Amino acid sequence: MSREHLTKLGITLPEFPVTSVGSFPKPSYLKKAREDYSAQRIDQEALEREEERATQFWIEWQDQAGVDVLVDGEMYRGDMVTFFAETMRGFEIGGLIRSNGNRYYHKPIITSAVEWVQPITIEWFRFAQSLTEKPVKGMLTGPYTVMDWSFNEHYENRRDTTIGLAKEIRKEVEALVEAGCRIIQIDEPAISVRPEEMPLAVEAMQICTEGLDAYFISHVCVGSFDQIYPQLLELPVHNLDLELSNPDVDIMPLLQANVPQKDISCGLVDVHSREVESQDEVDARLSKALEIIPQDRIWVDPDCGLKTRTVEEAQAKLEVVVAAAHARRESPSE
Amino acid sequence: MRLVLTNNGSYPRVGDRPQERKLRVAHTKFAEGRISERDLKDTENWVSSEVIREQIAAGIELVTDGMVRWHDPVSHVAVSLENVRAGGLRRYFDSNFLYRQPIVEGEPRWVKSLLADDIAFSVKNSTRFVKGMLTGPYTTARMSIVNAPEYKDDIPKLTMAFAEAFANEIEAMAQAGAKVIQIDEPMVLRHPGDVGLVREALALFAEKKGKAELALCTYFGDAAKLYGDFQDMPVEIISLDFTYSEDLISNIEMVGSSKVLGLGIFNARNTRMDSKDEIFHFLDRVLPRVSTDYCYLNPSCGLEFLPRDRARKKLELMTSLRYRYLHAGGQ
Repeated sequence: MSREHLTKLGITLPEFPVTSVGSFPKPSYLKKAREDYSAQRIDQEALEREEERATQFWIEWQDQAGVDVLVDGEMYRGDMVTFFAETMRGFEIGGLIRSNGNRYYHKPIITSAVEWVQPITIEWFRFAQSLTEKPVKGMLTGPYTVMDWSFNEHYENRRDTTIGLAKEIRKEVEALVEAGCRIIQIDEPAISVRPEEMPLAVEAMQICTEGLDAYFISHVCVGSFDQIYPQLLELPVHNLDLELSNPDVDIMPLLQANVPQKDISCGLVDVHSREVESQDEVDARLSKALEIIPQDRIWVDPDCGLKTRTVEEAQAKLEVVVAAAHARRESPSE
Repeated sequence: MRLVLTNNGSYPRVGDRPQERKLRVAHTKFAEGRISERDLKDTENWVSSEVIREQIAAGIELVTDGMVRWHDPVSHVAVSLENVRAGGLRRYFDSNFLYRQPIVEGEPRWVKSLLADDIAFSVKNSTRFVKGMLTGPYTTARMSIVNAPEYKDDIPKLTMAFAEAFANEIEAMAQAGAKVIQIDEPMVLRHPGDVGLVREALALFAEKKGKAELALCTYFGDAAKLYGDFQDMPVEIISLDFTYSEDLISNIEMVGSSKVLGLGIFNARNTRMDSKDEIFHFLDRVLPRVSTDYCYLNPSCGLEFLPRDRARKKLELMTSLRYRYLHAGGQ
């Protein structure tokens, strides 16, 4: 693990640090508040009160459950791109697009030069961090993914769009660092689909992170890993967060062939399944990872954000990850 | 030269207007056990007829049902076969859309038609000709997980197994009244060396197509290198995505076309409205080299990647620009 770097940042973590990828399911009272807000039955302030209540719920729950690096659960976000597009200049929010099955999102449209005009996540980070002694991750969506998951009506090409976004997203990263955030996750789930653009994604991430005093994580998922690995290792972050539990994406042979020198957050539970894995199953996945990745470079978490699960399912899935990590700490040789 | 307007498969099943959200609400209620499967099917049928009506209103002459009943383009038909089941989610090419990976546990066997009733419904509810849709056997094979040992690491064998099963679906769609059946094979652009395999599979379809015409369609990539091979395919129509490179247009200028072309020049992956000058310039270059008496004009891929209002506008733009082109003295 980049323990030296974390120590310099004032962060001490146990072996097998437990975290989660970002989103948690919204409790029923928040879902209702969002519906009421959409129907103009409550105002913004009332909605924010419920978002704060839900954030507090998840922070306290993670704290008590034994999670080591916490997330705010993204109670105030709809999806991972539109949320940023709503605050940055240069975007319009487009109509509904289907993402899979019966799930839809509002895909943003870039209509003029993108511009960071004010902090986007800072107040939520401050609020979440004020509720716990443990580190809370700053959670951002990376420039390549924002580019790929937006329509572009302004920039000449994908490269110009990505670099333009990277320069602006860096300002949010700087604001997070300024606010005291030391672990920042910049998600790039889209980079796994166009292998030829990996150098662009790397360059954009470099713009976002270069010279900043933080520990950076990037989450990548549901893509053709065989097409982008080992180039993925060039992403200038300390930790790559990978899905190791999706039954249909076997990354292990790739890791075996090119053992990563970065820290790896190992997804140990499948977020697309309602079934909660047993501790034995989770432990077996961890053992598999340990055959390849040195123990001091392993973090553990679910495969992806848990927002598609129920509150109870999400808690149960994270609890089993915590249990597996704690068991390993107590019996490291097993 | 006639330019016939068609949709390239999918159409947004949900939009931002309240009446355009019925299917989303119905799926939610069905998942919660609040409506029956029959109710869900009724809503799917209603949305399908609305989508057809919307295409016709926009000026489209060969319509699809918008694939509004499909879970996704890869798994929908594949998992209707025996010995194929739906697996986990994976990103669909370079999009933010996820499909279920078909998992092949044994020989894929066709039991009964999944799509014939949908085609019959569309034909009954359309005043225009109807196009049936099928993701091709090669693309399906490439995007599947193979557990069955007999197909492990054997894409040709699995492709032909899917082709034999899908040929029955082609026959059923043709009998149900599909004027054209479009077979999507985007994966061959990533594996151009397998183009012969696609040809072999299509030959099986050609035997079962009855009076329907077959269209081979590729998108999400540059078809320039395969353009010559496509001219030898046992299909009547070659439908291509022209948003990826200039080379494809140059190839057509050089080689010409003895097959009807589907000109996917309207970008179905960007909300920006395509410019008249670009479209006219494209048509000026391509149409003189086509020896058939008509071509199709269509979006570059399915329209489900756009919001409903923009999809509608793209189709209206196609109609408007065709009119202006033909009346401006183009081909």
